[in-house]
Amino acid sequence: MDERLRAAWRVLPDYLSQHVLLCASALALALIVCAPLTLLALRRPRFAGPLVAAASLIQTIPALALMALFYPLLLALSAVTSAAFGRGVPALGFLPALLALTLYALLPILRNAVAGLRGVDADVIEAARGVGMTEWQILARVQAPLSAPVVMAGVRTAAVWTIGAATLATPVGQTTLGNYIFSGLQTENWVAVIFGCVMSALVAIVVDFALGTVEHGVAARDRRRVGAGALVIIVGIGTALVATYGSGAKTYVIGAKNFSEQFILAEAMSRRVEGQGANARIQPGLGSAVIYRALAGSDLDVYVDYAGTLWNNVLGRTDTPPRDEMIAELTRALYQRDGVRVLGALGFENAYALAMKPERAAALGVASIADLARVAPQLTLGADLEFLERPEWATMRTVYGLFFRATRSFSPTFVYRALATGEADVVSAFSSDGRIEAQRLVVLVDPKGAIPAYDALVLLSPKRRDDPVLLRALTPLIGGIGPDAMRAANYAADRDADKQTPAQAAQALLAPLR
Amino acid sequence: MIVFRNVSLRYDSGAAALDNVSAVIAKGTFLALVGASGSGKTSLLKTINRLIEPTSGVVLCDGVDVRSQSAPELRRRIGCVFQGLGLFPHMSVAENIGITTELLGWSRADIDARVAELLALVELPQEVATRRPAALSGGQRQRVALARALAARSPVMLMDEPFSGLDPVTRDSLMQACRKLHDQLGLTTIMVTHDMQEALLCADRILVMAKGRLVADDTPAAFLRGGAGPEVASLIEVPRRQSERIQDMMRAHG
Repeated sequence: MDERLRAAWRVLPDYLSQHVLLCASALALALIVCAPLTLLALRRPRFAGPLVAAASLIQTIPALALMALFYPLLLALSAVTSAAFGRGVPALGFLPALLALTLYALLPILRNAVAGLRGVDADVIEAARGVGMTEWQILARVQAPLSAPVVMAGVRTAAVWTIGAATLATPVGQTTLGNYIFSGLQTENWVAVIFGCVMSALVAIVVDFALGTVEHGVAARDRRRVGAGALVIIVGIGTALVATYGSGAKTYVIGAKNFSEQFILAEAMSRRVEGQGANARIQPGLGSAVIYRALAGSDLDVYVDYAGTLWNNVLGRTDTPPRDEMIAELTRALYQRDGVRVLGALGFENAYALAMKPERAAALGVASIADLARVAPQLTLGADLEFLERPEWATMRTVYGLFFRATRSFSPTFVYRALATGEADVVSAFSSDGRIEAQRLVVLVDPKGAIPAYDALVLLSPKRRDDPVLLRALTPLIGGIGPDAMRAANYAADRDADKQTPAQAAQALLAPLR
Repeated sequence: MIVFRNVSLRYDSGAAALDNVSAVIAKGTFLALVGASGSGKTSLLKTINRLIEPTSGVVLCDGVDVRSQSAPELRRRIGCVFQGLGLFPHMSVAENIGITTELLGWSRADIDARVAELLALVELPQEVATRRPAALSGGQRQRVALARALAARSPVMLMDEPFSGLDPVTRDSLMQACRKLHDQLGLTTIMVTHDMQEALLCADRILVMAKGRLVADDTPAAFLRGGAGPEVASLIEVPRRQSERIQDMMRAHG
């Protein structure tokens, strides 16, 4: 079997059960919310239109955006509850995904419930009243059973939508089948992407079939069919519950941002943790802003971040102290402010750098950025879309007095290609990028220390910062991954031919440590 | 005994569906409420079991204001055959017939015995008990509705166009069945119909309504003798002429 497929199967129980539990919870919550709303629409018909319109309006918001919107909302709520009760609410992971999917499931359920209940024959309702039923008895004994098939059809639609939309919960930190899709997309692992799509479709088909059986059973008043359909759903949810909570073993959650190096490092840490006999789960594809908060909130147990990023984005500092001072200050400040422990530096950096083709650099006599400043007015700088807006570039320009003849922006993949085609003489690069090694580029040294240090640091959550298993597993990595090893691993995962999975690259990275 | 005392029903627009209706219906009477569409006959019927609440006036049932108890409790004690029947499509025939007794809290055994008794009373075979209404013929459904209305041994029976939409043979046999049950059980029956022929054949007394008012009130015999005013005359004219023509044809060809 293909290694990528094997890797996908290995994490399926975890992804699938979390996906199922998320969808089941969202649907259950949506049903609970819809019940009083439907009743309101039924008893006060003038509310029916606005209610369904509101649910439709929610539906127009893309599911991904809806989940993203809950992040700031829950952060704000968390601030309020922290102040009031000393306890925050998680802004990432299960909660925002649950709330967004619940809102998303409201429309089909509410619309069908209202239509179904209002569609019951008026003669039958009057007869129910006339034989002496109270309004509640009419609802329970006449309206509910007669509208049940239509209501069930709505639940069925909602279920299929929810199962599809749940794959979008990955970027807000909830494990779902979307993990395959998001991480596969990033590492161009199409096997994983297709695997995720197929699994999500399979779940949707099975659930649709089971709920369809319930729906037809309800319509035909056939208890056996209703029971059979319900059994499939209950067994599915039960299995997912057992798979998630039944093992009892502690699972360490390892975070990763959305690029190859992060996937490889997460895999490497996961292997080290599993080597200690513990369970580990990777939560990939988290955004830079999201991932640190998730760790500080102990939604994650560990991840790797970069000194300069933490310095700028988390601490909001703009100065550029020397490497050792910066790391020492980060270690102190993050612990003091958030309880986050900096375990140590892995041994490489992923900094912004300037790179050139070696023969061009040699011809111009350029080995450092200071050398470059002399000849820059005759050269073109190629940069990724973000670089020219970064504070690092501004600092570099002022410190060295860099003025290029022209600057051009490229998407990250094309930056290096621009160097090959001669569209640029100098490019912005990431110092641990595998392509630097592959294309044998020269990285210009920074004698004045203008570029802040971007050492890769292992961060531990407040909850697990003294966890002996985690410390035993990860301490050997500190100082154990050098720049060449990291570049080689990144290149193995990024190259087009003979591409490795992050897990394979991680294995090679860990080999010298054994 | 049922008493309507100055019963009016006015809409917000000011139009009156019932305009100061007063009448006394003696116990044991089979009363037909006759009138064109929109004459107010169904509205008047529904004030008895409070499916419609009059804007003014009082309705008494056995000397008690119908508003003195909750509407559901009142309705459980008044039998009613609804226009369009309103059988519950998701319940079996037995469940339909037994619904009121169930709401009244009868025991399962009592309900089952009563359902069997009612099926016999309305001349339906026992095996229809487990079927759903959709599996029955139109006439059988009508009999189920009748049985449901009789279930709680209510002395008062309300019927809103009970025989509409039936073929003439079925209709005739049901009319006879209704009249027979009325006499046998000593009911007070109020039947709404737009068909004067039906009223003449079934009722002891006929109330004619037009535009929310009572315009005539007499026995079928008195109606046939004439002299009850022009509205009544035109209502009587059609069945009289039809039956005379049929009699002539029977004489000519018999």
